[in-house]
Amino acid sequence: MSSQPFVLPEVRRVRTHPLPEDVVSSPRAARSGGPASLLPPLTRRGFLAGAAAALTAAGLAACSRTSPVSAPSATGSSGSTGRLRIGAIPDQDPEVLQRLYGTVADSLSRALDLDVAYQPVTDYGAAVSLFRTGDLDLVWFGGLTGVQARLQTPGATPIAQRDIDEAFHSIFVVNAATGLPPSDDLTPLAGLRFTYGSETSTSGRLMPAYFLQQQGVDPQGFPGGPGFSGSHDATLGLVASGSYQAGVLNEQVWTTRTREGSVDPAVVRYARTPAFHDYHWLLGPAAADRLGADLPDRLIHYFTGLSADDAADKAVLDLFGAGSFITTKASNYDRIEEIGRQLGLVS
Amino acid sequence: MTAVLDAPAPARPPLRRVRARWAWGLGTVVVVGWSLAGAGLFSGDVLNPAGRVQFGRFAGAALSPALDPAFLQVLAASVLVTVAYAVLGATLAVLLGALGAVLVARTTWGRRRLGWTLARGLLAVPRGLHEAVWGLLLVNVLGLDPWVGVLAIGLPYGAVTAKVFADLLDEVPRASHDALLAAGAGRVPAVLYGLLPPASGGLLSYSFYRLECAVRSAVVLGLIGAGGLGYQLSLSFSSLRWEQVWSCVYALAALCLLADVGGRAVRRRLAAPHTPGDRLARDRVLTAAVLTTLALVAWSWWYLAITPATLLTDRTRQQLTYVLGAAWPPDTDGDLVRSIGSRAVDTVQMSVIAIAVATAGAVLLAGAAARPAGRTGPGRRLTGALVRIGLLLLRAVPPPVWALVLLFVLLPGVLPGALALGVYTLGVLGRLAAEATEELDPRPRAALAALGAGPAAGWLYGVLPGATGPVLAFALYRWEVAVRDSVLVGLLGAGGLGALLASRVGAFDWAAVTSVLVAMVLLTLAVDLVGARARAALR
Repeated sequence: MSSQPFVLPEVRRVRTHPLPEDVVSSPRAARSGGPASLLPPLTRRGFLAGAAAALTAAGLAACSRTSPVSAPSATGSSGSTGRLRIGAIPDQDPEVLQRLYGTVADSLSRALDLDVAYQPVTDYGAAVSLFRTGDLDLVWFGGLTGVQARLQTPGATPIAQRDIDEAFHSIFVVNAATGLPPSDDLTPLAGLRFTYGSETSTSGRLMPAYFLQQQGVDPQGFPGGPGFSGSHDATLGLVASGSYQAGVLNEQVWTTRTREGSVDPAVVRYARTPAFHDYHWLLGPAAADRLGADLPDRLIHYFTGLSADDAADKAVLDLFGAGSFITTKASNYDRIEEIGRQLGLVS
Repeated sequence: MTAVLDAPAPARPPLRRVRARWAWGLGTVVVVGWSLAGAGLFSGDVLNPAGRVQFGRFAGAALSPALDPAFLQVLAASVLVTVAYAVLGATLAVLLGALGAVLVARTTWGRRRLGWTLARGLLAVPRGLHEAVWGLLLVNVLGLDPWVGVLAIGLPYGAVTAKVFADLLDEVPRASHDALLAAGAGRVPAVLYGLLPPASGGLLSYSFYRLECAVRSAVVLGLIGAGGLGYQLSLSFSSLRWEQVWSCVYALAALCLLADVGGRAVRRRLAAPHTPGDRLARDRVLTAAVLTTLALVAWSWWYLAITPATLLTDRTRQQLTYVLGAAWPPDTDGDLVRSIGSRAVDTVQMSVIAIAVATAGAVLLAGAAARPAGRTGPGRRLTGALVRIGLLLLRAVPPPVWALVLLFVLLPGVLPGALALGVYTLGVLGRLAAEATEELDPRPRAALAALGAGPAAGWLYGVLPGATGPVLAFALYRWEVAVRDSVLVGLLGAGGLGALLASRVGAFDWAAVTSVLVAMVLLTLAVDLVGARARAALR
């Protein structure tokens, strides 16, 4: 084309890829100590020294600060008495959570005369690990995660459960298009696309799987294998969409969502499981060593003493969706442990 | 991500068909067909039209993000955590990369090929695991410590950076280095004064590119519980509060945009330095960028309150011993191995579909997304801006969210996860393809236009032939990334090796976790090798 006497219309200069010469010349721009620099003279040595000083200062300043993401240390500002670190898995709005930290920690701190720090933890796996490492002293666990935590942390003791946890239930839901009428017979579910909630959830996976098995339905069967939606609300959404024709979720969430009126009419309640034990407060062994042997008793006394008549107590109870707290014992969760082993969730 | 630096130069297209390319092309068609068949596309319904109401709720919320002051306050604090993670993670990656580069550069090993190959192989281990997997493992050893986020970004990124830094050092002209050696300088001074200065532009450019990527990774870490923006996002996501999810996505998109624009400005400046005449002067823009970054590093350190002492405490050692003790030897139970095998096939199929979708989309959108050369009408500029914003949002919504949302309108299986990855990858690939299109020689198209060709013909014959090479090279590179990202989709239950990993971590079955991780590293390595071969055939 170049041999033709044809003039191309004027176009932008071709942007070429950097040639080796460009690469060689670019550091000239970045290099230090140019004689005619327009910036205040900054030697390489001065630059390195300044950077090192700034970082050292930041490092030193960091030592006297608590990180916005880490677990609080065992020795709090109150000195010798130490600090009780509690943790819970958030399943609420972020801003509700911010309030939860304050309310629960303040209430406990006032009642026990202890320095209490609240640590939000996003997932149960992390909570179990933090409990094992002693980063958290008192954790609000689900049935299965509580068992996992106790097996990994010898000496841990269950402290209290909510009134509803003594006889907790799960709800099997189906999409209205399946046309299944409510029933106690779970066998028709075997032929439907089915989703559990989170994989290690007691009410969204473990106990429903057990009750399915009791009725002769393979809990790992279902066409295409069972799904794991990740949360109770996601289960509701997926069953409403019909991608999964059936699912199972925690009765507390079902009741709350039904009361709010936010459940899609395409989701129909199918069955309610028999009762089982679920959430509970678990205390690690190191806390009693540090804060006094009577700590478990004081905690049990505090939790069972919370009354819905008292405004401050009620705020705490409401945040946990409880009418009251009651005592519990390790043997309540033996069945969960046994089923967990069968399903390969406890090793 | 080396691809951004050594984007294949628009080579003169050979005027004959290359047989190797035909073989690769045919192979690609077969693999994509096999993956689609595996996803059940040819064997029944995959769509679930009834779910469009749920999908509509997600999409509709995009127009009404949650803006109440209490939530925005929470969001602002999370943004700071995310920025701090990204900055410190990228810094650690650059430091590790600089050290690692010495270990894996050809310059170090000379003719000892075996040592060099082994050193490179060693890098594949940290590189083969996704940041989220690193985060998951580190939480178990370090507990809730800001180090988790920093290391989870820094370790895998450090390995990639080491590889790229080594390549950069190996590829600069060696004349001054050799001259120094010949003049009797030691090997270390020869590298410091002969290789480092010519390579420093490329090194700095890549470091800034890592910082951009680190922002998105920092969000992903939040999803597994390390705090920051991703943490708020996962909370809102688990209760399907789409208005709040969108607020998080917009915040993330703004952060990504800031990092993209800043990083691009620095990289452009390095490629075409502004020096006043011939004087040796420091570039003010670059100096300001480096100083700002250093100030950010200092601030992040202070803000996250990181103490190196945490890494050396007795407790960390105990936990490491505990986890390693439980994790070794790996579980080689027959059932587990079979399950790993079938999940690995799912993962490959997912990643193939994802890349096929993303590449097709990127090719279609690249023309519209590229900033046109010369003067254009406001309509064209508006379209371009809208497409670019769309691509930004596609990559700002994390893949797990896409997976759930797509599961509303698709029946369960490999497909929702694959499309989730595909849509997310399209966001990344679309931008890369647009940049590649901008870099093309504009003359062929202008010539066609001058001869009277319409816009479609101009694009087909003037742009497409030149853009195919670089876009396919990027696509092959992203394939390896997609295999790693598929873990993320799987962690939230969309199948593949990630789902298996999530279930084994949930059961604290460390021996099985090790087996799955080994499988992941091997799979990534295999895909990397195949991708490299295919890229070589494209050159």
